[in-house]
Amino acid sequence: MTAPLTPGRAVMLVARREFTTQVRSKSFAIGLLVTIVIFAIYIALFSFIGSQSSSNTLGVTSSTASLEPALQAAARAQDRTLTVTQVDRATGEAQVADGDLDALFDGGPGSWTLLGKDTVDSSLQQVVSGAVQQTTLTDALAAAGQDPAAVAARGNVAVDTQEPVDPERGQRLVLAIVVAVLLFMSLVGYGSAVAQGVVEEKSSRVVELLLSTIRPVHLLTGKILGLGLVGLVQLLVLSAIGLVGSLATGILTIPNAAAGALVSAVVWYLLGFFLYASIYAAAGSLVSRQEELQSTIAPIMFPLFIPFIFAVSVLPNDPRNTLGTILSFIPLFSPTLMPARAAMGVAPLWQVLVAIVLTILAIVGVVLAAARIYRNSVLRTGSRVGLREALRSRA
Amino acid sequence: MLDIGGISKRFGQVRALDHVTFTVQPGELFGFVGSNGAGKTTTMRIVLGVLTSDGGEVRWKGRPIDADVRRRIGYMPEERGLYPKMKVGEQLEYLARLHGLDAADARASVERWTSRLGVEARIRDEVQKLSLGNQQRVQLCAALVHDPEVLVLDEPFSGLDPVAVEVMSTVLREKADTGVPVIFSSHQLDLVERLCDRVGIISAGRMVAAGTVDELRTGGAERIDVSGPPPGWADGLAGVRVVESGPHGTRVELDGASDQDVLRAAVAAGPVHSFAPHRPPLTELYRDVVAAPAVTEEES
Repeated sequence: MTAPLTPGRAVMLVARREFTTQVRSKSFAIGLLVTIVIFAIYIALFSFIGSQSSSNTLGVTSSTASLEPALQAAARAQDRTLTVTQVDRATGEAQVADGDLDALFDGGPGSWTLLGKDTVDSSLQQVVSGAVQQTTLTDALAAAGQDPAAVAARGNVAVDTQEPVDPERGQRLVLAIVVAVLLFMSLVGYGSAVAQGVVEEKSSRVVELLLSTIRPVHLLTGKILGLGLVGLVQLLVLSAIGLVGSLATGILTIPNAAAGALVSAVVWYLLGFFLYASIYAAAGSLVSRQEELQSTIAPIMFPLFIPFIFAVSVLPNDPRNTLGTILSFIPLFSPTLMPARAAMGVAPLWQVLVAIVLTILAIVGVVLAAARIYRNSVLRTGSRVGLREALRSRA
Repeated sequence: MLDIGGISKRFGQVRALDHVTFTVQPGELFGFVGSNGAGKTTTMRIVLGVLTSDGGEVRWKGRPIDADVRRRIGYMPEERGLYPKMKVGEQLEYLARLHGLDAADARASVERWTSRLGVEARIRDEVQKLSLGNQQRVQLCAALVHDPEVLVLDEPFSGLDPVAVEVMSTVLREKADTGVPVIFSSHQLDLVERLCDRVGIISAGRMVAAGTVDELRTGGAERIDVSGPPPGWADGLAGVRVVESGPHGTRVELDGASDQDVLRAAVAAGPVHSFAPHRPPLTELYRDVVAAPAVTEEES
């Protein structure tokens, strides 16, 4: 029989409808599948490149065979593996054509040649030209009566850093970019799903029926919770696949940092989602038809784009960028920028905590304003409702 | 008793409702009529709490209507609204649960009402795949599925075919017979007259008449339909005004004369085949009431 419907139950019922409707929709399954495939391709590509590119095969002829020690030394200096085979010119050319050799090194002083099939790997070029230059220089110095080792020592520059060099910097960078991409994707995707849901209820007029039994704030809260949960599930599934895949293939060797990045991504997703979903919902409630929605939610993309672009373009080269540090404290920018900085290992804990507190304060303010806008405009159909009017008027 | 007590509402400079007052008894079918923009939908929305009034109060069983009571009202908005991509059954169950039913009751109620309204075969179809008439039936299911204590239906008959009109009428009558007050608005005045126990007429935001159709008739001057005497027989008759005159008879309005005076005059003019008091249909009453200068211009 009918029982009093508590606010909690009303919100739960709405959230469950949003969740099941979204999860069962074709677009959700297809979207998730496509993203997983893209992820898998990336992982496969990275591990392929990782295993392939650091080794080369080089053919030498009788005239260049003596340079092998110098070649090997130059390869070692560049962290590369070099397999050197001595062949005659004709065999070498055939093997280059077949792909058995990456390149054939021939010639003599003044006329060195490096023959590749259609291109020569730039790293291999560096190794060979480095070795040749070194040998030429050493021979010239010896001929001039100088000690090559002593000359080299004079030109040596000692490189040092004040803090210990982070050997995992490259991996942290990848983590940070992945975290920023995932958060950006989730916030934009599920934020606009909230806006679309609000407009769907307005344009189909079902909202009037709903609001005759539950309060606007419960409908809004249920919608945000339900869709937010779908976004969270997607984020977790993708992260799990990404983490397991990249740890298994050896792309990532820092499970602790990766787990930390995942936890921080989840925390920031939740904060960012409440912040942005409220704004998206308010924007959705201002219009009556899906066609009008794009122009209204476009401005919301800017505060999401700015930190995202910053995180993937500026931070990788300059993790301690001052502007980046400042921006990561601004609530609308924090959800993508702060976790990216944290994943790079350049955001101390106190910065993260301060940004979390600031974002929570912002959420309180934004949610109150958004609920007011939503309540005032969700039943108004026809022309678009002005923002100022929506904030002021009373239904 | 559902008591709409002096509710007023302004939209900017427009006074949409001006102290609208009427009551609906349990078990009563109340027809709410008025021209477009007269205030029917605004009144219903205020009853449902979808809009708030600027003044006045809506009471149910003597208590102001709050959220808990509203949940026990069945509502059919003028703007029909269901989730187009949700299945009929799931949608109705969802709405039933939002009105406080538990899962099992919701399911049973959905089965009962969809079969009562003849849409049980479409339970697994998306709403958007149904014809407009069937969508309307589902919409009525949505208003009934939580076994409401009060029914408020905005234009429930618009767009229905004659069969569906019959089904809808029967269901509304049945609901009223179980002691539920039922308000519905309609432009089909003959239907309202046939179906309703009482009628309220609203014009420019004011209730200009409310009561049974018979009560509404008592207000105007008495009219008599006479057939038989040749046309023109009543012209110039003292204390009588000719309303209309044609080959089928003459309709006169008594203005001082008695019905017996008229009968004598008619018999004197020629053989009288019929002589009866005119019972104006609601359409005519409505026209008279709404045409009366009850319309107030916006002061201030």
